[in-house]
Amino acid sequence: MKRSARLVGAAAVTAAAALVFSACSAPADDADAPAVESLVIDKSFDLVTADPARMFETTGGIVLHAVYDSLLTFADGNAEEPLPSVASEWEVNADATEYTFTIRDGITFSDGTPLTAADVVYSLDRVKNIQGNGSFLLDGLSVASPDESTVVITSETPNTAVPAIVTSPTLGIVNSALVTENGGTDAEGAADSDTAEAFLNETSAGSGPYMLESFDTTTETVLVANPEYWGEAPVYDRVVLRNTTAEAQLMDIQSGTAHVALDLGSDQIAGLSGDTIVSTSSSPTIFFLFANANSGVSEITSSPDFREAVKYGLDYDGILELAGEGAERAYGIVPSSYLGALGADGATERDVERATAAAAKLGPNPTINLEYASDFSSNGLSMGPFAERIAAQLAEVGITVNLTPGPIATTLESYRAGTEQMGLWLWNPDYPDSADYLAFGPGEIVGLRAGWAAGSDPELEAVMAEVSTETDAATREELYQEFQKLHNEAGVIIPLFQPAASVVSTSAVGEVLYDPVFSLDIAAIGR
Amino acid sequence: MALFIAKRLGAALLLVIGTVLVAFLLTAVLPGDAATARLGERAAADPAIVAAMRESMGLDRPLYEQFAIYLGNLFQGDLGQSVQTSRAVLTDLQLFGPASAELALTATIIAVVVGGGLGIIAALRANRPIDNVLRAVSLGGVSVPIFWLALIATAIFSTQLRWFPSSGRLDAGAIPPPRVTGFYTIDSLLAGNLPLFAEAVGHLILPAIVLSAPMVGLLMRFTRASVLDVLGQEYIRAAEAKGLSGPSVVFGHVLRGALVPVITVVGTAFASLLAGTVLVEQIFAWPGIGSYAYRAASTLDLSAIVGVTIFVALIYILVNLATDILYGIIDPRIRRA
Repeated sequence: MKRSARLVGAAAVTAAAALVFSACSAPADDADAPAVESLVIDKSFDLVTADPARMFETTGGIVLHAVYDSLLTFADGNAEEPLPSVASEWEVNADATEYTFTIRDGITFSDGTPLTAADVVYSLDRVKNIQGNGSFLLDGLSVASPDESTVVITSETPNTAVPAIVTSPTLGIVNSALVTENGGTDAEGAADSDTAEAFLNETSAGSGPYMLESFDTTTETVLVANPEYWGEAPVYDRVVLRNTTAEAQLMDIQSGTAHVALDLGSDQIAGLSGDTIVSTSSSPTIFFLFANANSGVSEITSSPDFREAVKYGLDYDGILELAGEGAERAYGIVPSSYLGALGADGATERDVERATAAAAKLGPNPTINLEYASDFSSNGLSMGPFAERIAAQLAEVGITVNLTPGPIATTLESYRAGTEQMGLWLWNPDYPDSADYLAFGPGEIVGLRAGWAAGSDPELEAVMAEVSTETDAATREELYQEFQKLHNEAGVIIPLFQPAASVVSTSAVGEVLYDPVFSLDIAAIGR
Repeated sequence: MALFIAKRLGAALLLVIGTVLVAFLLTAVLPGDAATARLGERAAADPAIVAAMRESMGLDRPLYEQFAIYLGNLFQGDLGQSVQTSRAVLTDLQLFGPASAELALTATIIAVVVGGGLGIIAALRANRPIDNVLRAVSLGGVSVPIFWLALIATAIFSTQLRWFPSSGRLDAGAIPPPRVTGFYTIDSLLAGNLPLFAEAVGHLILPAIVLSAPMVGLLMRFTRASVLDVLGQEYIRAAEAKGLSGPSVVFGHVLRGALVPVITVVGTAFASLLAGTVLVEQIFAWPGIGSYAYRAASTLDLSAIVGVTIFVALIYILVNLATDILYGIIDPRIRRA
């Protein structure tokens, strides 16, 4: 019996040892290899489609900015001045209702077909008629091509945001013949009749520096350099964009499995060691809090006394502290790098006495619900800690905040329906222009979610109307500042902070900058 | 035996239909609007775009009609289209299923060899120091949270020692072997590509070991108890009295007797591993059913959620069926019961 025990024991130990041995002998990564054959980028995906006309997500923007050229573009992290791209130059009329773009000569799509003005018109009309996520970009705009090298965009009302809007990867120029051949159409009714998405998820039809090698919304998407590209060739011939969680990104960048990581939070970055370069800048994302102004949703949050109590009850620096290094306070709803952004002058500071007095006018123990998405993070930040701190700060002035976290799929629905008493959310710019932030005014998309119906604040709305048709930059700057001062005074929506945006890269790749428009400009890496 | 299998198959089919009904109804009444979940901020505020999206997803029809259509399609092998991947859910299951199966199967093999082997040693050395050590180890294996183990294992073996890659099934951007089974290890061998096989094994080992840890502990305890139980039986003593050698007694009598209860544990544990790889797949960026299900749930991808539920239920049912049949083969008394 004893012998049998030894035999069986030996067999088991041998089996276990064999496993461990085979594990140890697996091929290891060569950490010292300086050359990078394929550039590997880790990103937590929100990828849905590679069809520009249907795409309006961050990861999609990163991929499609590399694959499709737009009329104009931004470069080097500068979001102020649109630069020539497919359009070599452009002109605008005096009242900003007609933009004329000259199409650059010699641009071909990756299959060698020349790019013409007709492709531009087709691409933009297709976006409009597909009625997808990004169709709003062309609201009130119409596109025409009087000749092969000219495109004219006409706006129903003066619109100074057009140059910024046409940089969007959603408005990337597709090869119209190829897309039409594969089920695409730019005609009215394209929402039903266009069937080119499946084709565009497999084959790229653009003129950008890269082409799709493979596209998968859940695992990895691979790009290869476009040999027909008309501009400066990218440094890396092959780029692999992988879908990984922030935790996995930390491991990957430390082990050298990935060369760039995009979603690491400041805590994770603080723990990095060795061969990594961290590039941190301020993101144009705005985290904000709102108190619903609709008395049907809450008698308490719709009261001006409540808004005053919240406005002076919050410790903004205490909230900013949670956002980590590199984050900055949002003094107004327009991000700090955009025209008309407010500075620290006149910023609201905590005044517990004033807030307590205002809260006391609401009656005994005012209690409200604060909703936020518990399963969502942006720039490495989750909403939970901020909600908790806000609740603690408001408790000090006599307001009880019940935290009501939920999955984003459900909280997003109540937020969009305008039924949240208080909400903690964020806003990423749709295009890099201050005009995008008029959405926060009464009667506009975010304003309505905060129960702020049109006509609620005539003075504020008058400024919004004026700035949307103003063409002089200096006057627009003043008007955007006025808009934000009045917006802050109303106190329905309270801007909190702009998080830091960090890109971590290995030294083999060099520093990789966060791009305030495209998040990451893949073709610029290594230049 | 045929009647026994037919009965079990009939029960399994009823169970599948019940699962489809429950999964569909529960998913349909989930809070949140699947159509607007797909739409961005501006588009979700446009009723025309929302209506078009609802129509394209079939959400504009009454629930009973949606269910009837779903069942009709299901009988034709159509599980609907996934919103997140824009592919047929069946195609997705075929793409992601083998990744999870390869991981779960490797974890099961590790657990059976290590857990079973150590369980036998513990039983044969019952109440001696080695048994005490092994019991403590098994308790650790069962109690350690799997995500913690995954993070520690990655930090040590990927980040520090760099023995194993920390994510994916192959190195980033590597071209997978031509698909035969969907198991990269087997397919790369079939393609005669040994470097790719080594790469696939390297990627598989760490997540498989982490995933197997709780099962190693469980199997060790279970095997130990089962072997101890059999060792106390009269027929073992009779076999020893007949002068049979130690290994003959252990392999010929003890293990055969101890096998029946262990098979049940292995079967159920494999199914639960396959269904429960979400955490490990997330941490190791393993493109399997777990990752797919996680994304489906967070984006309210209804077809994918129901598809994964049916898939997992089918696995449970098939594993139970296989376990029952194996039982019947090993112990004829069971099929006559």
